[in-house]
Amino acid sequence: MIALAEIEPMEKADGLRETSTGTPVIRLRGVSKSFGAVRALSDVSVDIHAGEVHAILGENGAGKSTLMNLITGVLQPSTGRIEFDGRDVMPLSPESSSALGVAISYQHPAILPDMTVLENLQVSLPASVFQGDRKDRVGQRLLEEVGLEVPLNARVDTLTIAQKHLLELAKALAVQPRVLILDEPTAALDQDATDMLFAKVRALKASGTAVIYITHRLAELRQIADRVTVLRDGRHRGSAPASEISNSQLLDLIVGRRLASAFPPKCAEANPPINFEVEGLSGRKFSDVAFAFGRGQIIGVAGVEGNGQSDLMRALVGLQPYRGAIKLYGRTLSPKELKHAAAFMPSDRHTEGLAADLTIRENATFASLDKYASSGVLDRGKEMQKVQEVFSSLAVKAAGVEAKVSQLSGGNQQKIVMSRALLSEPGFIVADEPTQGVDVGARFEIYRILREVSDAGTPVIVNSSDAAELEGLCDIVLVMSRGRIVETLRGDDITEARIVGAAVEADTHAHHVAEERSAKEGFGAKLRHFVQTDNATIVPLALVTVLLALFVSAQNENYLSSFNVSNILILATALGFIALGQTIALLMGGIDLSVGPLAGFLVVIGSFFINDGSPATTMALGFALMFGAAIVVGLINGVLIRFANFTPIAATLAMFIGLQGMSFVLREGPGGYISFDVIDTLTRSFGPVPVAFVVMIAIAIAMELGLRRKRAGWQLRAVGSHEESARRIGIRTDRTFVLGYIAVSLLTALGAIMLMAQIGVGDPAQGVNYTLGSITAVVLGGTSLLGGRGTFIGSLLGAVLLTEVLNAVSFLGLSQAYQYGFQGVLILVAALIYTTARRRREE
Amino acid sequence: MAETTPHSFGGSMGLSSMSLSKGFVTIVASTLALILLCIIFAPSAVTAGSLMGSLPFAAVLGIVGLGQMLVVQQGGFDLSVPGSVSLAVVIATHMPNGQDAGLLPALIIAVGFALAAGVLNGIMVAYFRLNAIVATIGMNALLFSAVFAISGGVPRITTNLLAHIAGGQTLGIPHSVLFALAILALVSFGLKKTVVGRRFEAIGANPKAARAAGLSVKPYQAMAYVAAQILYCTAGILIAGITREPTAFQGNSLLLPSVAVVVLAGTSLLGGRGFPISVVIAAFFLNQLSQFALSIGVPYSAQTIVQALALVFGIGVYSIEWTTRFKKEQTSSTEEENHETV
Repeated sequence: MIALAEIEPMEKADGLRETSTGTPVIRLRGVSKSFGAVRALSDVSVDIHAGEVHAILGENGAGKSTLMNLITGVLQPSTGRIEFDGRDVMPLSPESSSALGVAISYQHPAILPDMTVLENLQVSLPASVFQGDRKDRVGQRLLEEVGLEVPLNARVDTLTIAQKHLLELAKALAVQPRVLILDEPTAALDQDATDMLFAKVRALKASGTAVIYITHRLAELRQIADRVTVLRDGRHRGSAPASEISNSQLLDLIVGRRLASAFPPKCAEANPPINFEVEGLSGRKFSDVAFAFGRGQIIGVAGVEGNGQSDLMRALVGLQPYRGAIKLYGRTLSPKELKHAAAFMPSDRHTEGLAADLTIRENATFASLDKYASSGVLDRGKEMQKVQEVFSSLAVKAAGVEAKVSQLSGGNQQKIVMSRALLSEPGFIVADEPTQGVDVGARFEIYRILREVSDAGTPVIVNSSDAAELEGLCDIVLVMSRGRIVETLRGDDITEARIVGAAVEADTHAHHVAEERSAKEGFGAKLRHFVQTDNATIVPLALVTVLLALFVSAQNENYLSSFNVSNILILATALGFIALGQTIALLMGGIDLSVGPLAGFLVVIGSFFINDGSPATTMALGFALMFGAAIVVGLINGVLIRFANFTPIAATLAMFIGLQGMSFVLREGPGGYISFDVIDTLTRSFGPVPVAFVVMIAIAIAMELGLRRKRAGWQLRAVGSHEESARRIGIRTDRTFVLGYIAVSLLTALGAIMLMAQIGVGDPAQGVNYTLGSITAVVLGGTSLLGGRGTFIGSLLGAVLLTEVLNAVSFLGLSQAYQYGFQGVLILVAALIYTTARRRREE
Repeated sequence: MAETTPHSFGGSMGLSSMSLSKGFVTIVASTLALILLCIIFAPSAVTAGSLMGSLPFAAVLGIVGLGQMLVVQQGGFDLSVPGSVSLAVVIATHMPNGQDAGLLPALIIAVGFALAAGVLNGIMVAYFRLNAIVATIGMNALLFSAVFAISGGVPRITTNLLAHIAGGQTLGIPHSVLFALAILALVSFGLKKTVVGRRFEAIGANPKAARAAGLSVKPYQAMAYVAAQILYCTAGILIAGITREPTAFQGNSLLLPSVAVVVLAGTSLLGGRGFPISVVIAAFFLNQLSQFALSIGVPYSAQTIVQALALVFGIGVYSIEWTTRFKKEQTSSTEEENHETV
């Protein structure tokens, strides 16, 4: 063992690269990881050395990503140890891992779509990166490092996929990591970007960084790797210096699973009459796909995951748009016919295949219900008979047809999906990863059924990342790479080695889709940028507010009198504070229905202490109790939502009802007059402008700045924008949510103080309407209900506009019908406009 | 890996294996316990006279709850309950103005409004992808606008005919209860026995899976809001008959209980299967809980706290998967964790 002092990566890099005898930066010792009964990794030991590029190779599901998640602390190993510099560093968390110098560029970038490029950099990277220079200069430099040419203030969801990957790389490189993990970094990159990346990797290597490079492509490995480790089925198959191992030796390590014994016999005829044909099919992520096959043949689609196979599958069943022709028995299907004829077995059983809430019978039949019905009413006996027929032919093992589908094993769940496909008597079947997460016994039954279906004349198309499975099952195999068919294998050519070889040796690069954003400068571009920002709603809102004021004052000149303006603004201050709180809840992707009753409840509390004649200490206690109660309520809301599995609606609804009751318990009716001095102070105005309103504006601006410029603000938007990404970049999401809900309640307490000044008495019936009012104001302001995007200034303006409208209605002598009507139209029109304008994001 | 999970019920593949849902068992057990408590501690809450007085309100809540259930099944949320119930009340009392002859046209107009509101809600939520909360808040305001346009906020006395139809009794059973039971039968049949209803439930349980299986999701999601409005409207008309001089805000007190009964009956707020019978029992439960609390001297003001606790209890029962948790410890099941959030 070499003493710790020696392991200064800068110094040892060159000396140790050839021999790798020194203490490795990272040493994994006998690491295993299980998810339930599935072993993702078993007993893997790997050393990662400084100054080396260490490639990790393996098929999908071989355990590569799990291994990386262990090193980054996202997952904890079930058994085994992880050492850094010879020291045991377990247990690792994302924070402690990055403190040790690990940086990762994820295959699916951990970025926040609703935030700008610069904000993404700032929230993901330690503050030290940005010290010593202007933030934008640092950001610009980081982008230049990876050759990413986008404006720093561009919202990330407007970037192309390749640009997002470069941003992810920029984040990983920014910290000058000791260990850099690159998870299939070139999947979305074109040739230039790939060359740039390789140059960077070589430079980092020379400076002593250990690079872990996960890839599927042997060509890349040859260009960049010093050492290679192969995983298969979660086991370590071998490690060797890259120069000492040939491609064919590597392929032997990657493939070679033995499960050929029990595959059903293949189609005997070499050229059966064609029954399914695809011509010139192009769509999202694939182009120019053509194939044809006949009765009794099963066609397989292979390739490295993410090369367009699953998009092709979805297009084939009409779930994605396509160009080209799909022919069944020689007839071109219209998109509608296609949807009707196709039966789809989706790869993700849990999200797309099964409804966990329903029984296995209901899951099996919901696509074919009309077959057991006469004039719309089901014949239960007929349904039951059909279900039992198909279950017995598929050998479904379950406690009964009414068992919950979640109680079944993966194999039986897949058989339920298959039953649904068969019961709908489809024209053809598309099976996307039909045996993923299925135990060995059930696998072969699934193969048998697919073969029977095919023999009976129903075309079957199988997409699988398991090459051995395709070898055993299929009569024709299409290998895809970057969205195109790079190889078509038939008959004896279908071997696991040929399939994997064609996939990993394909040297095509991502076509740089002509998605270049117009980079024009000048007023037009600035305007376009502003329209996309969260604060874009301020302009139309302010305009409507002013126009409405002018219109009403033309009808009644007293409307803009100092008294009335002051009156409106005081009212708007109470609603405004509560709306600021609601904005926080919405930014986090949640909602807080309890704000209204909370405001009322706090006023009732205050009415016991803040009375004329009470000593100052009692009054101070009253205010302190109001804020204290608010903190408790926010804490309960947050804890219920984050730790007790309540949805935000459920938790805050229960709180809504409970607080309402509490108010009535404290006071049966109005009582406890609030001190006039306090009311006077709170409602003091300079001319028409109340001091409290100015204070609220100041707070809103400060919060708005905090939201854009401070870490807490970024974290708040990050958890609302994409919780999973936020977690991966090291944000403590639970804490952020709970603190967020406490902040909501605290702002509501400020609103309650203004409400107290307005009503002047502890009335348990007051306040409730502020829930709906605050949501209306926030929606008017332009905050998205999907989370991650919002504006405090907009919410404030929304509160002013709403108050103004309600006031104007009474000023114009209109009935309450108009008051409600305007409110309804306002919120619906605003929601329709904003939702339509943001449609792109949802898709 | 366990291939099958042994279960005490439904062991055969036979017809009799209609499983009792957890929600049903919970709510029935709670209701029986409550009745027992009433008999012991507050006999006055379960006398025939007091039941005759309180059952009609349980019936109304049951009907509104069924409407809310349909919306919640599709992962939605309907905050327009107060507006639409109040509007039905107002139309049924104001338009006839005490004259029996004017009742039928008034009811037709009420249903027309309900259809319009439901279709609008459905289109906004299902086709324009508006957030259900926002869309129904807006709709609620519009409906109240109509309430004031028609009534000016002043109550009117109901017609004798409607009082007889909705408030009368047959064989000692309040008509409103009969209406509630008939509607319950209709909703149950529609949901469980028809093609449309079964597809509706499947889409609510997992819209993505339904789409992958080739079903059109949007019309069914929109349908939920239309059916719900019709049910709210029916409830409003019944209230107009039960109450002699109903106010223009009669629906306000129904919104939160309508959500509470859906949750207590076991439907997840994220959507999924509906339990119509449990919803109606839950409505009875909630109503009886108030009666019980009143009789033992809990002030009227504290009633809502009791409701809130019942709601938290209900969500707690369903959001924590007790059986799964137990099973996991025994067999270390391979299934992914069941994130069943309410």
